[in-house]
Amino acid sequence: MTGERDRVGSAIILAGGKSSRMGRPKAMLSFGEEPLVKLVIRGLATLFPDIVVVAAPGQELPELPVTLVRDEVAYQGPVGGLCYGLRECRSAAAFVTSCDVPFLSLPLVSHLAARLPGHDVVVPHWEGRLQPLHAVYRRSVLPLLERQLERGELRPVFLFDKVRTLKLEEDEIRALDPDGWSFFNMNTPDDYECALARWRAATDGAARPAAGRCEVELFGVARLRARTSRVSVELPESATLAHVWSALARKLPVLVGPVLTEAADGLTAGHVCNLNGRDFVRDGGRRVAPGDRVLLMSSDAGG
Amino acid sequence: MTVHGFHGRLLHVDLDSGRHQWREIGADRLRAFVGGIGLGTSLLYDFAPPGVEPLAPENPLVFASAPLAGTGLTTTAKYAVVTKSPLTGFIADSLSSSFFALALKAVGVDALVVTGRAPEPLCLFVGDGGVELRDARHLWGKSAADTENAVRAELEGAAVRVAAVGPAGENLVRFATISNEGRHAGRGGVGAVMGSKNLKAIALCGGKQVAVADPEGVAAAAASLRRRSLGTHTAKYREVGTVANLAVFDRLGALPARNFQQPTFDAADELSGESLTETSFSRRNGCASCTIRCERLFRASSGGEQRMEYETLFALGPLCGLEDREAVLEAARLCDAYGLDSISTGGTLAWAMECAERGLLPEAGGLRFGAAEAVLDAIPAIAERRGVGDLLAEGSRRAALALGRGSLDWAMQVKGLELPGYEPRSLKTMALGLAVSPRGACHNRSGAYEADFSGKVDRLDSAPPRGALVAASEDFGAALDSLIVCKFLRNCFQDFYAEAADLLAKVTGWDYSAAELRLAAERIHTLKRCFNEREGWRPEDDGLPPRVLTESLAAGVAQGTRLTRDELREMLRDYYQARGWREDGRVSEAKRKALGLPAKQAVSKLHPREATAPEIVIPAKAGIQAG
Ligand code: SF4
Repeated sequence: MTGERDRVGSAIILAGGKSSRMGRPKAMLSFGEEPLVKLVIRGLATLFPDIVVVAAPGQELPELPVTLVRDEVAYQGPVGGLCYGLRECRSAAAFVTSCDVPFLSLPLVSHLAARLPGHDVVVPHWEGRLQPLHAVYRRSVLPLLERQLERGELRPVFLFDKVRTLKLEEDEIRALDPDGWSFFNMNTPDDYECALARWRAATDGAARPAAGRCEVELFGVARLRARTSRVSVELPESATLAHVWSALARKLPVLVGPVLTEAADGLTAGHVCNLNGRDFVRDGGRRVAPGDRVLLMSSDAGG
Repeated sequence: MTVHGFHGRLLHVDLDSGRHQWREIGADRLRAFVGGIGLGTSLLYDFAPPGVEPLAPENPLVFASAPLAGTGLTTTAKYAVVTKSPLTGFIADSLSSSFFALALKAVGVDALVVTGRAPEPLCLFVGDGGVELRDARHLWGKSAADTENAVRAELEGAAVRVAAVGPAGENLVRFATISNEGRHAGRGGVGAVMGSKNLKAIALCGGKQVAVADPEGVAAAAASLRRRSLGTHTAKYREVGTVANLAVFDRLGALPARNFQQPTFDAADELSGESLTETSFSRRNGCASCTIRCERLFRASSGGEQRMEYETLFALGPLCGLEDREAVLEAARLCDAYGLDSISTGGTLAWAMECAERGLLPEAGGLRFGAAEAVLDAIPAIAERRGVGDLLAEGSRRAALALGRGSLDWAMQVKGLELPGYEPRSLKTMALGLAVSPRGACHNRSGAYEADFSGKVDRLDSAPPRGALVAASEDFGAALDSLIVCKFLRNCFQDFYAEAADLLAKVTGWDYSAAELRLAAERIHTLKRCFNEREGWRPEDDGLPPRVLTESLAAGVAQGTRLTRDELREMLRDYYQARGWREDGRVSEAKRKALGLPAKQAVSKLHPREATAPEIVIPAKAGIQAG
């Protein structure tokens, strides 16, 4: 049994982040009848009795059955929000997330909470990147975060070296969220559109069941832009390369434009895919089988 | 009538007599050979006495400008260096670029031809005031970069542009480069030819602009090309540089490692362009008037920064088994400083490593695959021809012929030129391209690998129509290299021949069609073959090293893939047929006639492989430790 000192009884939702590229407040984006922030709260409330929402000064929000705190100064980055949230929460540790995450996996969130004993922070390490805004923090790290805030170190990662941090590895995460949709957040209207489509499909029960997954290996421009060398994508039954592209666009929206076409239905000029290191393909109709490796690279091999 | 886009003349400097002559270049020749590599090849053919020994005074060293140079069009600040190669005994046609190219045009010539040998080291200065041969004894032994700085300081002109040889060129290393502004005319040993003439440097400063026929048309085309040059087609070159090839080639089993014993490399991740960019990126750079700017400089732990291209990275890294990126950066720095072609340096070192490991070369100075220290010692030794470096300075083929003991089997070269970083067994169109290229194993004058990456052919299979693909790629290359437009812009054209011919028409005022440009490209490429034939080419010179034709790939996704002699023979047959040449690869009289090329000349009896260099007195060295 987890004792009181290891109990993660709170969730902190950071709602005050900038929405400059989205053009409107992310917390208020509607999913069905509800604004997104309500959807997120509803999910987390099934796990945590205590919910704290950190909003920007003057930020418009609906009536919420939660503790609402406002950033003292306009948005100071995640460390600011974390400090305000931890100050207000009523248990020894809290799960912290941003508000623009429509696909939180509750099994994964409760797994993170269960891994806290012996650590001060539990943070997922997904596809080469730490996910500090999908992590569990002990209240006891608050003084360190406050000092960081004073020094202007606005990124939570600076904390991780100073305390007992458990970086949850990919395999462990995949067992509960195979494609990492938990970490999908929305920065642009396109991201919102894509999330909405997936959300509708899922809630309508009309989503085609995932028939398997394939690995996409990124090279050159794609790798540098995405800051990762590989991602795994979910494939429907009888998948084609076009399905891979659209799944990739959802996972790595930064590739849309430079590498994938705006409609995510093809590759931009100068790029090509290769299946399993063997055949070069640009045709979206080409079948892709579960377990295939799709390499994405420049089509110009001049050196 | 004035020809636009050209000056219509060349400068011939004879270092034996110290005299120079301005000579007219007829409009017919310009129209038939365009400029750059084409014009240079045509002048080489006429200026070189048949069978000339490459390091003899009579071998002409041709610097050719091009019609698009100086027009401000993106990627066109380029010039060609053409001569008979001391490494292959066939044509050496190299490109280099940047401000020196613009200066060559601005001194009022379409070409500069140098023959003879000066009694003492000289610097050739061409300015608006005339031609001057300046004492360069004090520059002997300096790197090209130091020479460039010293000459510019002496001539007190910010507008003076200098191309020079480093110690490797002075010491007649057969794969020495000529360099300017950190760029090199790299392959085939053009620097040794310049060194053999006791010509340390060429300095240019002029203000002769060439008018274009249709300035507005050229400006509009320039704007359109500039815009296209910034599209996704060139993203690789703009965002990563050519070093991006390494990780991809490794993944595809096309990255030659350890003297082509492996098609993948364990440390590929560590050496990849992506990881270099993420951890050591220092600066992006580019040639004059280029919007793509593909050059990358990386930070070395020593504190300096070093330019790195894929070929250098491959040749000094995987090919030699070097895993440590700092060692590779340092080896690249040494090649630049001494003026060595990094591909041939790596290729020749890898040959020595394999020979050493097989017990064929006892005096290898510790050279073994992966032995970074030995590589860093060997590069200066090659440039200074010290110890085993004297043997390696001959290039892998000549070194193997000197060593004997079957070591020629491990020399990874074609016609004497070391292979670039494209594994022929897993890129089979490229295999044919490498086998038939006039200057030896070359990845620049054509881009046969493009077909292998296109998905239009199976890269692991040699089925037709490989011949036509290679021929088309060679002609495309000849057109680009003669206009001159950088090959990294090549995919930005929708209809290359139509657009390029239109551009040429706007610059020159000629009524020039796509068909005429196609024909010119074929003519240029074919003349290179005619030159080689005259210099003793034999059918067996179109081939690949025995390892490629006997061993299957040992690892990677293409493991087990082979390229048999029969496959190569079939591809060659297909290629000669596509070219309309004779079955044995010789250019028929009918073809020569159709292209307006000279009739067959007496063929040199001496095959380049057997020709031995006349004794050449290596000039006294200054500033280099003798050893
Ligand atoms: S693309 Fe690179 S090589 Fe070509 S002109 Fe530009 S900088 Fe020079």
